[in-house]
Amino acid sequence: MKNILKYIIITIPLGIGGLLSCDKTITEPVKEAYVPVSLDEKAGTWKTYVLGSANEVPVAAPKASNDAAYLKEIDSLKNKILPAVTAENKKAVVYWGAGSVYRWNEIARELAARYNLAPAANAEGKYPVPDAANPLADPKFPFANPPYTARALAYLSVAQYDALVSAWNYKYKYNRKAPSKNDASISALLPVSDLPSYPSEDAVVAAASYTILVAMFPGEVPYLDSKLAEAKNARVWAGANVPSDITAGDALGKAVGAKIMAKAKVDGMSAANNQALTAGMVENAKKIGVKNPWVSQETPARPPMLPNYGAVTTWNFDRPTLEKIRPIIPYLENSAEFQKDIDELKVIEKNQTREQARIANYWADGAGSYTPPGHWHRTAANAAHEAKYSEVRMARTLALVGTALMDAGIACWETKYYYYTPRPQQFGVKTSVGLPNFPSYTSGHSTFSSAAATVLSSIFPDQASKFDEQAKEASNSRVYGLIHYRVDCEMGLVHGKKIGDYAIARGKADGSGY
Amino acid sequence: MLRYALLGLVCVTSSVYAQMPHDVIYMPKKTACLAVSYNNSSWKEYWENTLKRENLNIGTLSTESVMPMLAVGLTDKLNVIVGLPYVQTKASAGNLMGQKGIQDLSGWLKYELVKNDKGLSLHGVLGASTPVGNYVPDFLPMSIGLQAKTVTGRLIGNYTHKSGLYITAHASYMYRSNIKVDRDAYQADNRVYNTNEVRIPNATDVALRLGYIKDGSRIQAEAFVDKFSCVGGDNIRRNDMPFPTNNMTATSVGFYGKYQPKNVGLNVRIAKVIDGLNVGQSFSYSVGLLYQINYFKKSEKK
Repeated sequence: MKNILKYIIITIPLGIGGLLSCDKTITEPVKEAYVPVSLDEKAGTWKTYVLGSANEVPVAAPKASNDAAYLKEIDSLKNKILPAVTAENKKAVVYWGAGSVYRWNEIARELAARYNLAPAANAEGKYPVPDAANPLADPKFPFANPPYTARALAYLSVAQYDALVSAWNYKYKYNRKAPSKNDASISALLPVSDLPSYPSEDAVVAAASYTILVAMFPGEVPYLDSKLAEAKNARVWAGANVPSDITAGDALGKAVGAKIMAKAKVDGMSAANNQALTAGMVENAKKIGVKNPWVSQETPARPPMLPNYGAVTTWNFDRPTLEKIRPIIPYLENSAEFQKDIDELKVIEKNQTREQARIANYWADGAGSYTPPGHWHRTAANAAHEAKYSEVRMARTLALVGTALMDAGIACWETKYYYYTPRPQQFGVKTSVGLPNFPSYTSGHSTFSSAAATVLSSIFPDQASKFDEQAKEASNSRVYGLIHYRVDCEMGLVHGKKIGDYAIARGKADGSGY
Repeated sequence: MLRYALLGLVCVTSSVYAQMPHDVIYMPKKTACLAVSYNNSSWKEYWENTLKRENLNIGTLSTESVMPMLAVGLTDKLNVIVGLPYVQTKASAGNLMGQKGIQDLSGWLKYELVKNDKGLSLHGVLGASTPVGNYVPDFLPMSIGLQAKTVTGRLIGNYTHKSGLYITAHASYMYRSNIKVDRDAYQADNRVYNTNEVRIPNATDVALRLGYIKDGSRIQAEAFVDKFSCVGGDNIRRNDMPFPTNNMTATSVGFYGKYQPKNVGLNVRIAKVIDGLNVGQSFSYSVGLLYQINYFKKSEKK
């Protein structure tokens, strides 16, 4: 007993000493600039998503390298701009140096996380619908839930890709060298490749991304304005572009962005929250044999999330295909299979292991997160960064993954509201991750994850088993978190795989040769 | 330590001691007191940032804990106190799963720095705690604790009149370590952190107690007011759940009483949060069974 006390007396001050020396700074992974393994010189011929061709938006020829106007720009860069670069400017150069597509994807994910909160009920017990015309009121617009985020990130990635294909077309058409290649006395702050500098790819991506994001997150215009300005300035501060590279890129990016948003405006999203359709959906479910269709488990009852999102236009397959690949009817109440799935959940509920809780938490991506589509965009962006992809090839990767994720969202939502099945909570099961407010079958996490992992495995075959395991774990996490039956997850994985395969087929035919 | 670790939306629970890390009672040399306390804390309303609200999908959140703790008189002026609670949470409505498990081991050293013959005294307390159970810290408000390691420094001043009336004041600063969560990205401070490391704000605690004590603390009764505040931290966002980074503040008032005529005794404590930020407005009560051991004395006599 005395020894134990002695031990305690000695260890308390030691513990204190150890703790006080601890630094509470949070360290995050640092992303650095690199020279891409390939410049993808032919990317100007790759197939675009929305643009008819890489020439659809004209870009005027730049001044020649011996033109007085250009020489003046070079002189100003060398003797005015670069000598005046501050430490603060250099921080921006390093930040954006990680890659323009990479950073704008990260910014979009952060916005999604910040806006991913369900509206609170008002005093009358009703849930006000977020208003795009008044985005910062309560509730804020948008509610960046998984379908919303999947769509926002898909349009972002498509805009970046189409804009970059177009930019590559003009880059190799005009072949203006980077400032430091035209004038060896300019030392750039970032690694400079042989990629022609006009129009600036960073400005193209910044302007295209900005155009999508101000439409998707209209309350964030001041924030996005500052990011846009910084992204463009950073390239000049780095000595990597002259202002005319930036101006041309900015104009091209904005024009392409506007064309992508014009498509987004008519994709059916404006009718995705049509709550008038749910009565018919419930009726259909009953007709198929669903005895107790889904009902909101919230108090007061919350209208289901985007019941008509399933009607939004898909990217990589058409409507008949969507209906053809819809998962078959799940196990119905009173069947032995249904009972088996419920029993599995009851066992977990009673004795959830810490590892099951960990998996459920890791993949939860619930309120306040950038959602499963954001999670998989992050995985894709990090894989492409690690592989040192060129900007255009990174954009292609994210567009393939992003369109697959949006297609997965649409097809999964269509399935959910087609069958309208009840959550396990309608049978008394509690959850350790929070319950989404929409029908159960199939699991969104499983569908999203399988679609993204399928595409990523095709792009990075050496990592296929890793992505496959991650998708399976994400899928299992919904059983461990007690909000999905096993069949929801298994069928979601199968569905997601098919959806991913359509994106792969598109990628194989886009002329990239990858 | 329990009461602070749980301050989240969980509750403001109390530890119950025959003597506590915030009073000026000492176990005499070579005596020890074992206390086992039951604590029950619940709230229906909470402060979402500054907005006082209820949540129909939580109903009433209740936290129950049982804590054995031991106070030992190393000398008449130096005591050590250790405790380890078992905690469980439950929501009366909605579908969030209750959590349960062993929480954090805490230890305190309390030392009488100065005491004069006019009834004035000053005491220094050094405390530390470390999580024992591998519970989930960021499933608030259901989580049973925050997983932070803590170190607390505290000064206690006391004046006791001959009649037994006393006034006690204390001020503490608590260092709380960063924690690791299961996810590798989370939002705090209105941004996304791409890591599993979460910063827990440090905290302060001040309290004032007015009471009566008799027969060498065999009988004690006091009223108190206590304010716990985080040093920094962010606020719960509109209609979001709380998160370990939140700036949690709570002012509570309460009563504490003890009756220990012989070796065996009883204490009770009730407290209510009257104002707060990012915490539940909890009402809590606890009952403790006390048993004084003269183990060391006896063993020495042999």
